[in-house]
Amino acid sequence: MLLGIDVGGTSTDGVLIHNGTMEKSVKKQHSGGGLTESILEVLDELLKERDAAGVRRLVISTTLVTNLLATRSGARTALILIPGRGLPFSFYKITPDTYFLQGNIDFRGKITEKTSEAEINTVIENIKENGIRHIAVAAKFSHRNRSLEQEVAGAIRERYPEAKVTLGSETADRLNFPRRAATAYYSAMTAPQWNEFASRVEEAIQRRGLTAPVEILKADGGTMPLAVSRQRPLETAYSGPAASTMGAVAISPGKENAVMIDIGGTTSDIALLIEGEPLHASRGACIDGRFTHIHALALRSLALGGDSAIKAWEGRVEIAAERLGPAACFGGPAATVTDAFNCHGSLGIGDAELSKSAVAELASTLNMAPRELAAAVVEQVTARLHALIEGMFREWENEPAYKVWEIVNRRSFKLERLIGIGGAAAMIVPLLAERMGVPFTVHRLAPVANALGAAVARPTLAVHLYADTQQKRFVIDQEGIEGPIPNHATFQLAGAEELALEHLARLAEKKGAGSYAKEARVELAEQFNMIRGWSRVGKIFQVRVQIAPGLINEFKGVGV
Amino acid sequence: MKPTGLLFFPAFDWAISPSHPEREERLLYTRDQIFEEGIMDLPQIREYQPQLASPRDIARVHFCVPSIERIATEAHLVSAGGAIVIGDAFMKGEIKNGFAIIRPPGHHAMTVAHGNRGFCNINNEAIMIEYLRRKYGLRRITIVDTDVHHGDGTQEIYYHDPDVLFISFHQDGRTLYPGSGFVEELGWPPAWGTTINIPLAPYTTDEGILYTIDKLILPLLEEFKPELVVNSAGQDNHYSDPLANMLFTAGGYAELNRRLAPHIAVLEGGYSVESALPYINLALIMAMAGIDSSNLREPDFDRSAFREAPGNMERLKKIAVLQLENFRRREEEQAAQMKKHGDFFSAQRRIYYDTDNISENQEIRQRLCKRCGSYRVIDSAAMHAGGERYRVLCFSISLYSCENCREEARTAYRDSIERALGNYDYIYLQDRAADEYFCFDCSSDDELEVGGQRPEIGGD
Repeated sequence: MLLGIDVGGTSTDGVLIHNGTMEKSVKKQHSGGGLTESILEVLDELLKERDAAGVRRLVISTTLVTNLLATRSGARTALILIPGRGLPFSFYKITPDTYFLQGNIDFRGKITEKTSEAEINTVIENIKENGIRHIAVAAKFSHRNRSLEQEVAGAIRERYPEAKVTLGSETADRLNFPRRAATAYYSAMTAPQWNEFASRVEEAIQRRGLTAPVEILKADGGTMPLAVSRQRPLETAYSGPAASTMGAVAISPGKENAVMIDIGGTTSDIALLIEGEPLHASRGACIDGRFTHIHALALRSLALGGDSAIKAWEGRVEIAAERLGPAACFGGPAATVTDAFNCHGSLGIGDAELSKSAVAELASTLNMAPRELAAAVVEQVTARLHALIEGMFREWENEPAYKVWEIVNRRSFKLERLIGIGGAAAMIVPLLAERMGVPFTVHRLAPVANALGAAVARPTLAVHLYADTQQKRFVIDQEGIEGPIPNHATFQLAGAEELALEHLARLAEKKGAGSYAKEARVELAEQFNMIRGWSRVGKIFQVRVQIAPGLINEFKGVGV
Repeated sequence: MKPTGLLFFPAFDWAISPSHPEREERLLYTRDQIFEEGIMDLPQIREYQPQLASPRDIARVHFCVPSIERIATEAHLVSAGGAIVIGDAFMKGEIKNGFAIIRPPGHHAMTVAHGNRGFCNINNEAIMIEYLRRKYGLRRITIVDTDVHHGDGTQEIYYHDPDVLFISFHQDGRTLYPGSGFVEELGWPPAWGTTINIPLAPYTTDEGILYTIDKLILPLLEEFKPELVVNSAGQDNHYSDPLANMLFTAGGYAELNRRLAPHIAVLEGGYSVESALPYINLALIMAMAGIDSSNLREPDFDRSAFREAPGNMERLKKIAVLQLENFRRREEEQAAQMKKHGDFFSAQRRIYYDTDNISENQEIRQRLCKRCGSYRVIDSAAMHAGGERYRVLCFSISLYSCENCREEARTAYRDSIERALGNYDYIYLQDRAADEYFCFDCSSDDELEVGGQRPEIGGD
């Protein structure tokens, strides 16, 4: 048995998959209880009259970290930065508890200015005096040389052993210091509550006799073991849309270029699938207006859903952003998008007569026929979604490119299908697909596609390698792996790719993703000859390999 | 406040040859530095992506021999297209200023292009400027060439055009490629005094260059009142540049751009790829975006190492006085020279293409008209590296030509095709006023119109 649980905005959903197909689903509206309680409630419901020992995998997607960030209720965290030369320090002051240290690393990972021990000690004393127990440390170019961050971490361990330290080089793998600093900071800030949650889940699982691995869904649509999530809690943020998107992948009939559109009560989320794989945001997840290095899906949201109220505004029909209550056909106070679609297509949702009278009432204030008003709402809804989707295509087509080849051969998005999920998808997606001239899928499992997505998402893992043959060393972004380049004089790109894949396989084995290591692929492979004078003095390589988001091997499809 | 536009196109898959200064690695460390700084995420910055320049964009400036396809490779089209995108964004009011960090460079490319000289095939700034003049009706433009090498290509393209003030400071031509850019080079009769050269002694420092900005270049801008100021932004005045001998610093570049406040900067040369470019490019971006750059300096920077020689300051003062004087009496001098030369001014010259080892002989005739920019006729012969010899005749009609001059030039073009005098391989017509460009192939008797309108950029 494979279980997936997704905590959403209004409900917690769960699915149980047995022998490759979905056997059971549960949907619990949130009551007053806590997050962990609602997860366990759904878990117990799924396992009712079943043997917990038969569970082979449990994946949880939760809003805990998203909520902590939204409500700014994480732990007070100090941020120690070593920005070196460049932008003014003031650009990096994410929190009032930001401390700056001297020291500079250049783009090749060379230290061009040392840190000052006295300065480090003063900063640690300050943080200690302020009673801050969580510390994030980030240096510019620390992904190419961790030593300055490690010096600071060592000093903290020695002088303030109670403090918990998060390093930038542990949480981020690529260029962009402000994003690295933000990632380390928000990781440190959310870690305490995440760890508490993880412990409670572990304990509850044990109590129920589950021995299966527990995985957490990440913002990139992949999973990681619960134990690993303790080091990287921030990656669990924004996993909700990732769950829905992986659900769309699971119910999608093939590896197509598709649009996943998740239409709920008041919002619509849209993601792109490229040949069946979810597209990632090139800039990383944005938290509190700051970009981070968290790999997240490229997602667009619109404040538009089935419960969005329809209003008359300056003689025209308008769809309001807010929700006044459920749709009129379900006893709500006013006409909603659902009521308009209900009338327009004679869908027979709820009490259709209530929809009719609500729409007619509004239409009369505008001197319109009810039919006209319903059609106008349908037009507005589909037009807004259509424009948003087209905008996403253009954005993907115009992603930054730095090679002649890429500019000359600009790609274009060829849409093959709309995949609708969420409660309001069944009424809206068919009309949107007609407008866009493409086929669509609104599966019977659409309402629990999010939990399904969590259940069947496979682990993801990425490794970034930077190698400089003049300095004869390479560095990998994870777990402090670095070392001398074997045969540096003859080291080539193929060797760099092999080295990265080797380390990925080793890490995947450790992180429960071993069986997918052979499916890892090279995402980025760059090489540059370093010429000084007129001769070559070395090469620089950058390689990124990853196990991309996908479905677990055990999943055999959901049928139609 | 509007953002600063930034277009970064490092052409990571293009090099003149593997170990050439113009190689893939050139902007690698610049990429690392500006991306690590998170520049593209700043609200002060808006990133743009290049498009390909169209054949028409190139034909508006150049006579490419034998054809545009043979001279401008895809890399050149993307680079020039990058400058155009930034120019467009500025003119549409999307940005307060913009910087195109593009390669390959262009400021040594002249009107007639037989191949690559000084690492340049086509002139990115001129292509952008002529595109903007055509599309937005701009007329008065100033180009300040801050590359260490004399911007002889841009100078040549505008040597006859009184509406473009071309200013270049550079290491003295007696000590550095391309060996030109002396104070006496002031422009042809109709445009005398709108080319201003400032040859700098080797080892000139920030102090000397900033003095020149304050005392000569800024007063020139003040009096000329251009609608657009373009910095042809080479970065090879830096103390670590391997191809030149100046002592300019990244901080100096930031200050230069702060004072000059160009609307658009376009990257030209600069070959200290690791010790200078990352810092200078960042300095330029910060200066244009109005960001304090006092925390930016090279790791090996030592302020005390760069003192200006007193003798050099004296020399710079003299140049400033002389060139301001030349500029201020330009109209008088233009009138006198026009009178002296009558209907035509003609000149001959020899142009050497160092990269491609081509020698070109040119005879130029500039029609002098009191009412308009009129037209030029260039007769050019060169032997290319492959041994092919080309002789071409080029008619270039000014965007601001009067009806008579335009008709006269078109008739001359037609006549020369019919009479086929002088055994030309190609005869070209560049009619900027009509935005029409023709190439007549004398061996096949075919006339081709250069087509390919580029699609509208952006869309609102």
